[in-house]
Amino acid sequence: MLNAINSVIIDGMSFTLPLFIMAIGGIYSERSGITNLALEGLQGMGAFVGALVAYILGQQLGGDSRVPFYMAMLFAMLGGCVYSMLHAFLCIRLKANQVISGVVVNILAMALTSFLTKAINRTAFGAPSDKFDLGVSDRFTVPGISKIPILGAFFTKVYPFEVIIIIAAVIAWYFLYRTRFGLRLRACGDNPAAVDAAGGDVAKTRFIAVMVSGALSGLAGMCFAYSISAKFSSDIYMGYGYLAIAGYIFGNWEILPSLFACLIFGFARSAGSEIVLAAGLPTAYSDLIMILPYALTLVLLIFFSKHNAAPHALGEIYDKAKR
Amino acid sequence: MAENPYIVEMRHITKRFPGIVANDDVTISVKKGEIYALLGENGAGKSTLMSMLFGMYEPDEGQILIRGKEEKIESPSYAAGLNIGMVHQHFKLVSNYTIAENIVLGMELMKKAVGIFPYVDMKSANREVAELSKQYGLEVNPTDVISDVNVSTRQRVEILKMLYRKAEILIFDEPTAVLTPQEIQSLLQIIRNLRDGGKTIILITHKLEEIRQVADRCAILRRGKLVGVYDVAGMDAKKMASLMVGHEVQLTLDKKPMQAGAAVLDVENLHVENEDGFEVVKGVSFQVRAGEIFAIAGVSGNGQTEIADAVAGLMKVSGGNIEINGTDITHFDVRKRAETGLSYIPEDRQQVGLVLDFSLEDNLALRNYYKEPFQKNSVLQRPVFHKYGNELIAKYDIRSANGNETMVRSMSGGNQQKAIVGREIEQDAPLTIFVQPTRGLDIGAIENIHRQILEERDKGKAVLLISLELDEIMQLADTIAVIYNGQFGKIAPAADFTTAEVGEYMMGVKKS
Amino acid sequence: MNQRSKNFLKVAVISVLLSLLAGAVVILILGKNPLSAYYNLLQGCGLAPKAKYGGSQSQLTDLSSYIDYWTPMIFAALSCAFAMKAGLFNIGISGQMLTAGFIATITVGYAENLPGPVAKILVVLIGAAAGMGVGALIGFLKYKFNINEVVSSIMLNYIAKYIISFFIQMYFIDPVSRQSRNITDAARLTFHQVDVGGYKYDLPIGFILALIATFVVKFVMDKTVYGYDIKAVGLNRTAAKYAGIRVGRGIVSSMAISGLLAGIAGVTYYLGYFSSIQPKVLISTGFDAIAVCLLGNSEPVGILVASFLIEIISKGSAYMSSQAGLESEIASVVTGLILLASACNAYFLGRMQRRQDRKHPALLSAAVATSADSGGSAQVKNSPEAGKGKKV
Repeated sequence: MLNAINSVIIDGMSFTLPLFIMAIGGIYSERSGITNLALEGLQGMGAFVGALVAYILGQQLGGDSRVPFYMAMLFAMLGGCVYSMLHAFLCIRLKANQVISGVVVNILAMALTSFLTKAINRTAFGAPSDKFDLGVSDRFTVPGISKIPILGAFFTKVYPFEVIIIIAAVIAWYFLYRTRFGLRLRACGDNPAAVDAAGGDVAKTRFIAVMVSGALSGLAGMCFAYSISAKFSSDIYMGYGYLAIAGYIFGNWEILPSLFACLIFGFARSAGSEIVLAAGLPTAYSDLIMILPYALTLVLLIFFSKHNAAPHALGEIYDKAKR
Repeated sequence: MAENPYIVEMRHITKRFPGIVANDDVTISVKKGEIYALLGENGAGKSTLMSMLFGMYEPDEGQILIRGKEEKIESPSYAAGLNIGMVHQHFKLVSNYTIAENIVLGMELMKKAVGIFPYVDMKSANREVAELSKQYGLEVNPTDVISDVNVSTRQRVEILKMLYRKAEILIFDEPTAVLTPQEIQSLLQIIRNLRDGGKTIILITHKLEEIRQVADRCAILRRGKLVGVYDVAGMDAKKMASLMVGHEVQLTLDKKPMQAGAAVLDVENLHVENEDGFEVVKGVSFQVRAGEIFAIAGVSGNGQTEIADAVAGLMKVSGGNIEINGTDITHFDVRKRAETGLSYIPEDRQQVGLVLDFSLEDNLALRNYYKEPFQKNSVLQRPVFHKYGNELIAKYDIRSANGNETMVRSMSGGNQQKAIVGREIEQDAPLTIFVQPTRGLDIGAIENIHRQILEERDKGKAVLLISLELDEIMQLADTIAVIYNGQFGKIAPAADFTTAEVGEYMMGVKKS
Repeated sequence: MNQRSKNFLKVAVISVLLSLLAGAVVILILGKNPLSAYYNLLQGCGLAPKAKYGGSQSQLTDLSSYIDYWTPMIFAALSCAFAMKAGLFNIGISGQMLTAGFIATITVGYAENLPGPVAKILVVLIGAAAGMGVGALIGFLKYKFNINEVVSSIMLNYIAKYIISFFIQMYFIDPVSRQSRNITDAARLTFHQVDVGGYKYDLPIGFILALIATFVVKFVMDKTVYGYDIKAVGLNRTAAKYAGIRVGRGIVSSMAISGLLAGIAGVTYYLGYFSSIQPKVLISTGFDAIAVCLLGNSEPVGILVASFLIEIISKGSAYMSSQAGLESEIASVVTGLILLASACNAYFLGRMQRRQDRKHPALLSAAVATSADSGGSAQVKNSPEAGKGKKV
């Protein structure tokens, strides 16, 4: 029983945290006023770039090196960040419909990464394959604390990326709520004209916000690739990006409540599969559990739509020369 | 060397927008420490001129000198650096931020946590804002959230924002449009105080009375050109008005005595709640008779537009009864009410009265398209639309580039309003509701609309007029009801009211 | 054709050409001949003759198979367009297709002894009803609880995906193919591998329905009172309400019709082109339909042309891959680029419009004059109010 609870916590956290950091990315973008349905594509593109780097480095450095893992994290963030500029450019510079832009960015990410994975495997590595194998990342257990019943599970078999995410999340929280940049960013999502009048640069702030969402999504994608998938392939597009969206809607576009939402989603998932396993049910039952986050969010929206307020200027095109 | 008395000089400024010259060779010079008014109709180019001073546009020709030095003001922050501040007509405030957060936005005070991590220091900001507000007599509570405070407080926040930025040249863009008469008086006092404190004030307005009360000098603009600069002392309102519009203005309308008939609209104990469940109309009763213009006067946001929306069916009634010619329409939907006998010229012509991306003929048929002969068996009959559209275009002199086919979006505001008024009057309904029918129109168009309102009344229609312009109400109304805080202060024949008295009821000072 | 449509056509053609050009560059980099690769696409769809054909196959075989493949896309893009006209964004087409396909499969698809015509009619009706139900639910949530349709569609997409995956794996799985069991031939909307004069063809009934649907949608949109209502709701909800149009009914009904079309798309896909459902997969058709809809300017006839084009790229890619040794995914990259270009269309159209207006300044001056004094900056609402919005 205790074992089961432990693995619920261990698996729950390793899924919750990537989801959470992606949700923070979404919050950055949407609090600045740019609708971001592109998270799914951003995390995929980030994971692709990171996985490619890790794969190349892995071949150079051999299997034991930790370098590929950390370089993958870094390059996933870079990749997601650069690719997200496409969404930012479409939404901010070309004033495209932000929902459509998000859909486009997702579709293009899937197409590009699947194509490039195959093409690179064939031409550069000479082996036809539709994936980059990464294996599951090493984990560590904190000696001492991990022995504490239940609470210790949070310190057991931890992926290194979980630590990275927690650090990134704290930094992201600090920037959004405590700094000058964050104050202006959130103002952009409520009334961009106010920021403009106060001498802030709305377009630049939003552009950066979208890039942050790209970087954080890229990081999340890489974490999924190193844990659940153990590889990069088109399997990365499982809809985690949309799950993160559900997360921050559930969390009312605020970071801490979104953590709460992601914890619910993550633990429902791990508890669900643990129950399915323990009860000896067919694995298909775990699909039923996957419904939970989406159904919960829908129910929340139905019953609490009054308290659930998207940023005022979300989805609006800001045009300071508009006459 | 004699000191240059002028703090702002704008010389030979020309600004063009596609298809229009907004400012044409305009030269103005503002002295330090004076209140300088810019007077002109809508579209005369006042705001454009000031937008260039504030760095939102750059002039195509001409130069701007601040404190005698030529400046290229390329952004609002550059203007702020020159100590120029502007209170915009539409407040630029972040609704979910506190007053202090709004004031410091863009000029945040920073502190460092543990000596390394910079953060926005709101504690000091709150204190500074409180001090500033005391210093200038602009009372606000720094920690209140904007969405919870009223309009005049928001305006004070905008003024404080400028003062916080050490503005010396303060531009006010139509600052009184949203205020009650008392609030206007207290604002004008604040403006005087600011001047006496050494600030230079530029006041954009089209209200002659305010200029006469506070301004030292006044520049009059007409169609982008400078008509002249005048000392306010020694000018009378009529002279200013005629300079502003370019011809002698007839300030009174030809109005026949009222021939009132039976009650057409009968509203009894009407209660209306807004989206948030807040009661905005609190038990209002009145009748509008055939051949009568019944006007509701009041400051914006006191429930008057909600009365119109509730009568027309756009808002739900939470209590009371509405009858038209004896038919209870309280529970009818919008269309059934219209068919029972009601036309409605709404306040917001672009967002409510028209579908801007529909053609003119589709908009003119907005009340009829679903009726025969506009449709047969649910199939639209285009030739009928064309014919009807052409008739109305001719009858109401609606001007547009491509007639029936014109996208309404591309038409001027005056012609858009003509289209709405024509369409609604054509319904020949016993009751017509006009809400802010002349807002944003030029004097010619205003005269035209006023004439049509009187014609309707003389034809024996009941007219419900809701306007924020007291002048308009005093000119047109047979009966006036003054609304304050969702209730009528007084209902009486127009002749029984003086303008001042209406003002007092509008502010809720006087209650009956 | 008015100026707007002409401009649109120009921009659309340019964006397709540019995307094909970009694809060609990539193909060149990979060391292949883009022209022959693109010719392979046409060959794969039976629009150009192949060098040789296998037994009982001909160019017409490929063409018939292409039309079979094309059919669901027409419905899906019409579904997207119908919602778009009402100012709604149906991102849930894939989920609606899956729901309709699944319900039709388990009710009619597995029913024994149903005569073909009856089964086929039932499949279409049940699929339409199922899709309509989901669409109406989305519309209802929007109308009643003010839930943004994009958000609810996404949630419902995943709910449908996982529930249906569960049921297929538990009760309807074919252990070999790992898909749902094949449906009966009677229920299938495509006459599969029909032998005509020694050659085999796939004859989709759905295609005829798709052509009919295209013109019905066009007629409803352009010529009827209902179409006028829906367009008014789509362009300006407040004005529509003011005009006495029941906005709520417009939102729910247009979303229901959008769902209905998606439902038929679903049955022509899962019970036409295919005869089984792969669990845990939301097909890309519903998302590509957005591309088709944008490229076709949300107009039924435009959609017919756009879907024809996009589906050539999509369907022909397999043959291209086998002939040219190129990754078939290059096709989806080109489609993605077309979609990208389409998303930018509005911007370039706006620029074109402004340039043309400058030639006729009278058109614009009046409009500018009215707003010239409002000064400063303004905001334009563009998306269907993401996550919030005024309740009407």
